[in-house]
Amino acid sequence: MLETRSISRRFGRTLALDRVDFHARPGEIHALIGENGAGKSTLVGIIAGRLAADSGQVLLDGVALRAGVSAVALRRARIAAVYQSPMLFERMTWEENLALGGFAAGASPRALDAVAARARQIAAAAGFELPPPRALVADRSVAERVRLEIVRALSFAPRVLILDEPTSLLAPAELKIFLAALGRLRDAGRIVVLVTHKLAEALAVADRITVMRCGRVVTETRAAESGAAELARLMIGALPDAPARAPRDPDPAAPPALALTGVTLVREGRRVLDEISLTVRPGEIVGLAGVDGNGQAELVEAIAGAVKLDAGSIVPAPGGPAVAVIPQHRDRDGLVLEMPLWENLMLAAPLRARFAPHGFFGRAAARRFCAELLGRFAIRAAAGPACAAGALSGGNRQRLSVARALAGAPRVIVAHDICRGLDLGAAAQVRRALAEFAAAGGAVLLISTDLDELLECCGRLLVMVRGRVRETAPADRDPERLGLLMAGAAA
Amino acid sequence: MRRRLAAALRPAAAIGGALAAMAIALALLGASPLAVAADLADGAFGNWIAFTDTLARATPLVFCGLAVAVAFHGALWNIGADGQLVAGALAAGALGPALGGAPHALAIAAIIGAGGLAGALWGGLAGWLRARRNVNEVISTIMLNFIAAQLLSWAVHGPLMEPSGAFPASRKIAAAARLHLYFAPTRLNLAMLFAVALAAVCELGLFRTAAGFELRALGRNRRASAFFGMPIARLTVGAMALSGMLAGFGGAVQVAAITHRLYETISPGWGYEAIAVALVARLSPLGVVPAALLFGALDSGSQAMQRADGVSAQLVYVVQALAIIVMLAFDASAGGGWRELLGGGASDAPDAAAEARDA
Repeated sequence: MLETRSISRRFGRTLALDRVDFHARPGEIHALIGENGAGKSTLVGIIAGRLAADSGQVLLDGVALRAGVSAVALRRARIAAVYQSPMLFERMTWEENLALGGFAAGASPRALDAVAARARQIAAAAGFELPPPRALVADRSVAERVRLEIVRALSFAPRVLILDEPTSLLAPAELKIFLAALGRLRDAGRIVVLVTHKLAEALAVADRITVMRCGRVVTETRAAESGAAELARLMIGALPDAPARAPRDPDPAAPPALALTGVTLVREGRRVLDEISLTVRPGEIVGLAGVDGNGQAELVEAIAGAVKLDAGSIVPAPGGPAVAVIPQHRDRDGLVLEMPLWENLMLAAPLRARFAPHGFFGRAAARRFCAELLGRFAIRAAAGPACAAGALSGGNRQRLSVARALAGAPRVIVAHDICRGLDLGAAAQVRRALAEFAAAGGAVLLISTDLDELLECCGRLLVMVRGRVRETAPADRDPERLGLLMAGAAA
Repeated sequence: MRRRLAAALRPAAAIGGALAAMAIALALLGASPLAVAADLADGAFGNWIAFTDTLARATPLVFCGLAVAVAFHGALWNIGADGQLVAGALAAGALGPALGGAPHALAIAAIIGAGGLAGALWGGLAGWLRARRNVNEVISTIMLNFIAAQLLSWAVHGPLMEPSGAFPASRKIAAAARLHLYFAPTRLNLAMLFAVALAAVCELGLFRTAAGFELRALGRNRRASAFFGMPIARLTVGAMALSGMLAGFGGAVQVAAITHRLYETISPGWGYEAIAVALVARLSPLGVVPAALLFGALDSGSQAMQRADGVSAQLVYVVQALAIIVMLAFDASAGGGWRELLGGGASDAPDAAAEARDA
């Protein structure tokens, strides 16, 4: 049996895992479910030895595993993990990749034919197909890569196989075959831990389910005994105390402030945005719910004009001053950390136009404006406007991003996951600022994985699944129902 | 204020460290480090002629150093200042002989303008390749260096060859197009003043204008620049053209003030040395001037050192290279700057950081 005893792990000020006890028994598929940020990946990282726990133990068949063990020691303990994004060398053939991964201990790594033969043996037992001989990984689909990773993991004859969101990128047809193969592994007496945020999948394939939320195990249950609605509630948390705020009624006759028509974006052969059409009218906060990675980031890039569309149109034209975008990864996409705060404000085109009307900055005025903004949004910066953005704490950086978006006086704000990582007070402040913006006639598209936030802030709600966006009916306006829609349930 | 002073002292400390390392090496080789240093200083600053020679040697390094600094601020690794300088010199040398009838001021403006334009085209071409065809500018600018060098060679052996056909050099430019040597027999001329003025313009442009800000933002966070709708292609082409123009000016004034004609070997590699100059200056346009003076002093002093001590003049290249390495290795400058820029991974690293955070 694989178990963890009272595992805790902290990242900075965030307690990612809080005394987690987890058990997975031989001959079962155990699904570990929870929302993004619930601590699933951290937990499997610790079990697989990729991360060290601050406290607590991991035991396999009653024997404690040392924290931070090397890959070699793990193979001896026979725990193999397949992570979210396949870790393969793109420019090598799949045989070379398997050989490099320590495949087929005993065989010379150069004996690629032997590697291939052994791989086919393992793959056949699992019901997988492998790519043709000497095929480059770069040319293979995501599903094939995941299968390669699994074959590599199986080559160690692991006692425990951990699969971290392996299915998030698989097409439905591939998924079915893959899940059937997992069943065969279970029947061979292995411990299979399947990490997923897809409720339907967990219910379909797992024998037991452990639900995590906010770094804690909420419940462990037999799959056959639990209902989807109950699990969704456990995943998402308590229902908001206050009833959802009545949706505001924007003027239906008003022309939309933001209109997307048939927006399509293809990346690596996948339609990450699939004919998305949506509108946001002035005075409206439209919520876009969805599990992270279903195309939200690409949608924001498209609206910001950072990518070229393959089809469709966006009004107003991307890149203009009418739309302010607050990206999800504020450090990567929204700030220049080495630059002072006032210069970071000037990234926004409307502010640049205001403080450099003829191409030359009025630096004193820009700094004064920055100082005023810091005060108004309670952004704590020791050195004031001259302080480098990188010196701010995460919450203050986020407030700076929001303050900048509002200060440009746009007609539309597209905000992606703006409250992630903020404490309750700061999050409330950010939401209030958006509500005031909407009340004054602004249009907001609020993209979030946090259903409570969306239910509290938004009028109309949309759901994004696998690059598609669909409207929800008023009857869908509760966390359980939305959770199911986010997991891809039919309407 | 104290921090600013410390930042300004760091390059000096790096040079000092490199010199100290050289002193030890010299002592081990049996030469007296003090005597070598004295001769080096004497050769660079010992008398009026030596001093003005140092200024003249530093001048093309200022132009090329500015070219490199401007491009590097946008994370555009322009290794092609040498080719852009040659392109500028070629245009100046081709136009110069035809300017006989023009008034002095007009002829000077024409010859320097032609050089700047040619350099801008040469640099802008690399920028266009980067912006539109995603060709790495490091590769394209190096290739363009070769092409410019061969173009110059062909020109002085062919269409621009002087009438006697005896030497691989062009005809002399018209007297009207020559920058006067006001302090003959020294080589002192107005080009250094022009270079210093350009440094001030670059400093203002980079740090006081919206376009300069956009370029610096692009260099430090390309993704954010895209998210905020900055015209990345236009900035790339514009910055590379501007960079090429600065180097092209350097080529033109060299022809107008010093050589008065084209030779195959018009540049001893200023464009490459300028990368070191810009780095020592920490990419500050105003800092390029003293950095170029220092390198110019090492260049001109090295000849005297070779004569007096029998130490190879090449030694100064070792000092220059050591200074760069010492700076890169030990100057973990506060709040980013060229060290991160040169690391190159800076723009990719946040991806990994973000992933780690989300895990």
